Amino acid sequence: MPRPERQTITFSIDGLEVEAPENTMLADAAKYGDIEIPVFCYEPKLGDPVGACRMCLVEIEGIPKLQTACSSPVKDGMVVHTQTARVKEAQRSVVEFLLINHPLDCPVCDKGGECPLQDITFGWGPGRSRFIEPKRHFRKPLELSPLIAIDRERCILCYRCVRFSQELAEDYQLVLLERGAHSFVGTFDGHPYVAPFSGNIIELCPVGALTSIPYRFRARPWDIEGAGSICMLCPAQCNTELTVRDERVLRVLDRHHEGVDDGWLCDKGRFAYQAIHVDDRLTTPLLRDGDGELRPAGWDDALARAAELLAGAGDRTAALAGSTATNEEGMLLARMLRDALGSPHLDSRSGPPVDLDHLRALGAPALQASVPDLEFAHAVLVLDCEPVDDAPILEMRIRKGVRRNRVKLAVATSRPSALDPSAAATARFAPGHAAAFLAALSGALAGAPDLDDLAAAAGCTAPELTGLAAALEGAQDVVVLYHDRILGGPDADADAAAGLLALAGQLGLARTPGAGLIGIPEAANGRGLREAGVLPNAGPGLSAPPAGGRGAPGIAEGLANGDLDVLYLLGSDPLRSHPGRRAWEAGLAAAGGVIAHAAFLTEGIRDHADVVFPAEATAEKEGTVTHPDGRVQRLRPAIGRPGDVRPEWQVLHELSGRLGSDPGLPTIALCSEALFAAVPFYAGLTLTELGGRGIRWPVRPGAGELLPGGPDTATTGEADGGGTAAGGAQPTPTPTPAPTPTPRRSNALTAPGARLLLGTYRSIWAAPEVEYAPALKFLAREQRVELSPADAARLGIRQGDEVLVTGGADQQVRGRAELRNAIPEGRVFLEAGIAEHAANGIDGPLVSLHRATSTNGGPSGSGTPARARA
Amino acid sequence: MTPSAKLLFKGIDEPGLATLAGYERRGGYQALRRALAMPAEDVLGELLASGLRGRGGAGFAMGKKASFLPKGTMDKYLVCNADESEPGTFKDRELMQKNPHLLIEGIVIAAHAAAINRAFIYIRGEYEQQARILDRALAEAEAAGYIGDRVLGTDLSLPLVLHRGAGAYICGEETGLLDSLEGKRGNPRLKPPFPANQGLYQGPTLINNVETLATVPAIIAMGGAEYAKLGTETSTGTKLVSVSGHVQRPGNYEVELGTPSREIIYDMAGGPPPGREVKLWFPGGSSSPVLTAEDLDLPYDFDSMAKAGSMLGSGAIIVVDDSTPVLDVALKLAKFYRHESCGKCTPCREGTNWTVQMLERIERGEATPMDLDIMASVQEHIIGHCLCVLGDAMAMPIGSMIKKFRPEFEAHMEAMQLGAPVASEAALAAQGAA
Amino acid sequence: RAAPHPTAEDVIRADGVERRRHAHPEVPRFDHGSRVPGWDDAVDLDKDPAVVPDPAVLDVPAALRTEIEAAMARYPDSRSAALPALAAVQRHHGWCSPEAIEQAACVMRLTPGYLTAVATFYDMFETSPVGPHAIYVCTNISCSLRGADALHEAILAAADGDPAFNVRSFECLGACDIAPMASVDGVYIGPLEPDDAPGLLADLRAGRAPLPDKQLSRRPSADPAAGDYPGGPGA
Ligand SMILES: Cc1cc2nc3c(=O)[nH]c(=O)nc-3n(C[C@H](O)[C@H](O)[C@H](O)COP(=O)(O)O)c2cc1C
Ligand code: SF4
Ligand code: FES
Repeated sequence: MPRPERQTITFSIDGLEVEAPENTMLADAAKYGDIEIPVFCYEPKLGDPVGACRMCLVEIEGIPKLQTACSSPVKDGMVVHTQTARVKEAQRSVVEFLLINHPLDCPVCDKGGECPLQDITFGWGPGRSRFIEPKRHFRKPLELSPLIAIDRERCILCYRCVRFSQELAEDYQLVLLERGAHSFVGTFDGHPYVAPFSGNIIELCPVGALTSIPYRFRARPWDIEGAGSICMLCPAQCNTELTVRDERVLRVLDRHHEGVDDGWLCDKGRFAYQAIHVDDRLTTPLLRDGDGELRPAGWDDALARAAELLAGAGDRTAALAGSTATNEEGMLLARMLRDALGSPHLDSRSGPPVDLDHLRALGAPALQASVPDLEFAHAVLVLDCEPVDDAPILEMRIRKGVRRNRVKLAVATSRPSALDPSAAATARFAPGHAAAFLAALSGALAGAPDLDDLAAAAGCTAPELTGLAAALEGAQDVVVLYHDRILGGPDADADAAAGLLALAGQLGLARTPGAGLIGIPEAANGRGLREAGVLPNAGPGLSAPPAGGRGAPGIAEGLANGDLDVLYLLGSDPLRSHPGRRAWEAGLAAAGGVIAHAAFLTEGIRDHADVVFPAEATAEKEGTVTHPDGRVQRLRPAIGRPGDVRPEWQVLHELSGRLGSDPGLPTIALCSEALFAAVPFYAGLTLTELGGRGIRWPVRPGAGELLPGGPDTATTGEADGGGTAAGGAQPTPTPTPAPTPTPRRSNALTAPGARLLLGTYRSIWAAPEVEYAPALKFLAREQRVELSPADAARLGIRQGDEVLVTGGADQQVRGRAELRNAIPEGRVFLEAGIAEHAANGIDGPLVSLHRATSTNGGPSGSGTPARARA
Repeated sequence: MTPSAKLLFKGIDEPGLATLAGYERRGGYQALRRALAMPAEDVLGELLASGLRGRGGAGFAMGKKASFLPKGTMDKYLVCNADESEPGTFKDRELMQKNPHLLIEGIVIAAHAAAINRAFIYIRGEYEQQARILDRALAEAEAAGYIGDRVLGTDLSLPLVLHRGAGAYICGEETGLLDSLEGKRGNPRLKPPFPANQGLYQGPTLINNVETLATVPAIIAMGGAEYAKLGTETSTGTKLVSVSGHVQRPGNYEVELGTPSREIIYDMAGGPPPGREVKLWFPGGSSSPVLTAEDLDLPYDFDSMAKAGSMLGSGAIIVVDDSTPVLDVALKLAKFYRHESCGKCTPCREGTNWTVQMLERIERGEATPMDLDIMASVQEHIIGHCLCVLGDAMAMPIGSMIKKFRPEFEAHMEAMQLGAPVASEAALAAQGAA
Repeated sequence: RAAPHPTAEDVIRADGVERRRHAHPEVPRFDHGSRVPGWDDAVDLDKDPAVVPDPAVLDVPAALRTEIEAAMARYPDSRSAALPALAAVQRHHGWCSPEAIEQAACVMRLTPGYLTAVATFYDMFETSPVGPHAIYVCTNISCSLRGADALHEAILAAADGDPAFNVRSFECLGACDIAPMASVDGVYIGPLEPDDAPGLLADLRAGRAPLPDKQLSRRPSADPAAGDYPGGPGA
């Protein structure tokens, strides 16, 4: 879909000739002439203007009535006045009206000093009010949720917050109630406003009506400093601005980056900063002593012990990297393993390795879509991915595209998606059957005559396939958003990558500008770690490594059977984040040593680590990370490290040195340089060039040669597609004959009804930071067993019942039944990544369910209450 | 002028008229047949020629508005505004109750003229009986092929749905109505885009009042040019006038536009009760600036009312005689508009609220003449600054009352300060002295 | 629904009109209290966020579901059925209770918050429990010029808190020709005298049609031409 292009026009404002892009709203266009028009309700991020507050009235010659600048598109030759007596009187009157019921409690208001109402009153207000009636007074502040306080006296009814809830996040929870002067912001029947993006309304509110409970009364604008950073709590890597006072992060704001986050943050990103400063955080190294206890230790002892373990294990060392590990740390880890220890066993993914050729093809620059492409594509296919959980901010981007640009959305997942209501077509395939599903979808796109068998093999229906195909077929440019789990997660088939590449070829993604793939990795910096060489089968830049190693599942097995000895964990706790808990428990128990970098003692670290290095928080880190769309972004420290925490890169560097292979990179800047040198497609990047906005390497000149591959060349022989110049007329894509799919019947799908097919998902709230940040604790999740009403009825399970889910070899997890109409019969979904009773406690694919007879030890109460602050 | 010109009300009390049989017996739906036999442009031409101006309040030429709809095949909508909530107005009610098929016929003809393929009637929720009558009429019309698929075998298809509101004056404002019809709170929208371009479900939409549409069959029957001969040059045709308040025979009267106001108020509606004089009157619903006894001889048409500083509005004359203090009228109105303000834009929401509080203060005797100046200035700050004209609809009449009856307000203030009873006569005397 | 102004006052009668006056001409400041239920309410943090109710866990009476679904089918965009759906649940439950709104939300696939926002915007949706007989007394300008305020008082007094009646003062009901008037369970009646109040309520209590002789539907038009039909009075 073509991006809007705007001509530059000239208009006159207050006697000044000003150039501005045509049709920008006057309120914005005036800024090109350094003229400020005051606004309250206008916020371009929220979409079309509503013209509610009337603060921006200006005079446009030729129009008798004053016009709202926020909603008047500027035209060539327009003559605008913002300083006439008429305009000034109108502005003064609006401020006077707004202040009628606004309390004068600025001295005790959190917004004071950064409040648009204060500023505009000062700049445009009448100075004194003629209103001598009593103002309204109410109880305040009130809780709107455990995170947000509302002060209704201060509200000026600008509609920003409710528009956000209804038109941006589309959660429709925060609404305006009643009418006229009685209107107020509220929710249904006193329910709290708890939703993934609720915190954004705090930043949107132009007065102190909505304030952050964790930030309330912590600081004044003149006490604080802002520090640009990047949220590393999920792969979306939103750009943030940290509010810092006295070496503490007090608040997280968005640092609007159109190419990444579009100016929004999810609540995890906004409030998890508290976990930086909790007592539970590790700030000294720990060593496990003779009696099996982890005890604080000095760095020398810890490093020595770690080096000793590693040296002893040599090439029987394995490593896992995850969560916030940076590219530099990944590179140093890979060097330590490969160069110092001679071990090829390292991984940054949890599933079996993906064929290197496929990885390269999937990472090929021509196939990479950017985040804004989600908004402007003709169609978006969401594939085995739940954006709100896997990369929350992208969900808002997809909704924006559907709402504003009528992007056709196709959702193909196993678990019902929050995006279903916005989708033009949806399909539900059986969990773990992504490869079969891709084959079936290819078949449908190629017009295969009989879809029934293909659909059956994937566990979906033929009409679902034709519906998806119809949504995708007419579209010129398609963006496919998939999650890494499709490529060989616990329950995916190995040929899913090939299927995905075939689909990409069929949709002509590589040769259509604006089309492409976005793959969401498991770890926040999954793409960066992969490109830095933290894979068993790839070195830096997806080069072929000297020797192939074991992937994560193989590492667990190797530890258990003695093939491997020591496990090095860089920001990873496999008991928490990897499937196959039983295998990992066995592996960790059998390991000769476990060395971990960790900020918190999660279960796997607490029970199995011999050496624990206290990890940095993202706000303390320096280095680079890579966004799923290939944007290399820079992290800079916003605060100092607490206690004895040392940078991870230093620890890795030091250990390599002690192991006799000094990388010789004594500063982080040198590490980054070495990284850029080692990864061919990062070559030439500099930290200065990355700056605060980062650079997408796939669009750098010559990127295509540095990572050759892509489906058009590699898989489907459509190499000549490169001839279509960007912006030029597109030849109708010739549908590639799909690789004739052979439907394979999985016995899971035809299993007797007594057992259900298990699917897993990881929610946005399944993160240790959520458990440790006091403000977010209430969102930490307990296991819920999602199943269809039909299965529930058959099994005698009711909503809220305690349920035991039994998998292979008598593994069990316990959870509370959650009936969902949208879940297909025969399937059950469990949540992964949570502290207790996580989905990885049982192995699928088939599980059985029954009501727990005793209710001891399980969660209590009905449903999943948004419990009050802990 | 032909005093007998009664296009809408002639014989409207005839029993059975509300049924299809009764309506057809009187030649109903003949105009539709005739219109359908004409090309759409010609039907539109008749509407343009008729000079018919909207009867809902704004008085915009109906044919012109219909001609603004973009051409081409797309979903276009017609919405009949039957919200009739303007205080003092009850003409649409009587029309719909007694002659529902006339409205339906008008809607179908208008739809044909503007190539519209879906229509709605938005009727205020309080009109429960009228909604029932309309529903029955719609069912009859559909069964007889006047609405629905392929109207009378032609290419015109027009599903027509009756949509009931739920009690909100602002839903009479055309864009508030559209939001309400879309299932939302009835907040007015920013214009432009105008409904003709982007209205219901973002599609081109023609919105007209019940009376406007009910006049369409007569225009087709008699020809636009002939219709234009009725009334004055710029206010053609006949108009239903709802007369209420202090008159002896309140009710709806069909008059030719341009009829002297006195004739309507006194000759038709019987004037104020014996011994009482007209003190002030609203010529076009409570939103129109008030006129006084001096204005009684003005011809009742769009332009004369505008020239007198008021407006014809919905065609509802509310008469207030000298028994009622102007403060009571002002307070009643201000409270109404405060209650009905949707709350979306600042000047209306806060301005109506502030005005009520000031008037209450005046009533309690806690105000000085300076407060009248503040109140007048607040009205000026509302007018022209709001998102829709509901704010103006309060500010204009209140402003006119302060201007025309200032001495009475001041006399009240003074009397309250002194603790003395306020006599309306005294106030009137003061007014005379001014 | 506005609360009366709670100030100290004495009463002055002038010209038959009762006026209230402060003992001291002093502006009352900071009188506390909410005009609107809800302003002073915090949320209940023990509740779940109110998302679209899942049909798997929320029962909707079948007749109600059918009615709402039929309404949804009438419009190109099913959300247009919000008002009809709220009217349906109000009829079924007596008021737009949280439960009623959840049921409508469940069928319409909307959040209950959305529908609450809609319901509270419109005067005819009751968001707290009310009596089954709705008596809307028009107290707007034309009716009040003819004694509507006294009528309203009289009906309130006659109802005397009887929970069977939902007596409300209403804005102009579009029947100023029969002022002062009231809409009684949707039936327009007028002109009414304060003395009619007991009879009106008695009719309702007895399940009879209220004051049949005063119902608007029986009233001829004021315009003489209205009777101008064959055999009509004006012919
Ligand atoms: C606050 C407000 C209330 C209105 N109420 C009504 C109404 O009840 N009925 C109506 O027909 N028009 C009403 N209007 C006028 C409509 O906005 C619109 O102009 C009219 O329906 C157009 O129809 P017409 O051109 O046939 O008059 C109202 C306007 C405003 C600003
Ligand atoms: S709470 Fe703030 S953001 Fe919401 S309407 Fe009020 S002033 Fe606007
Ligand atoms: S900023 Fe333009 S109306 Fe609010």
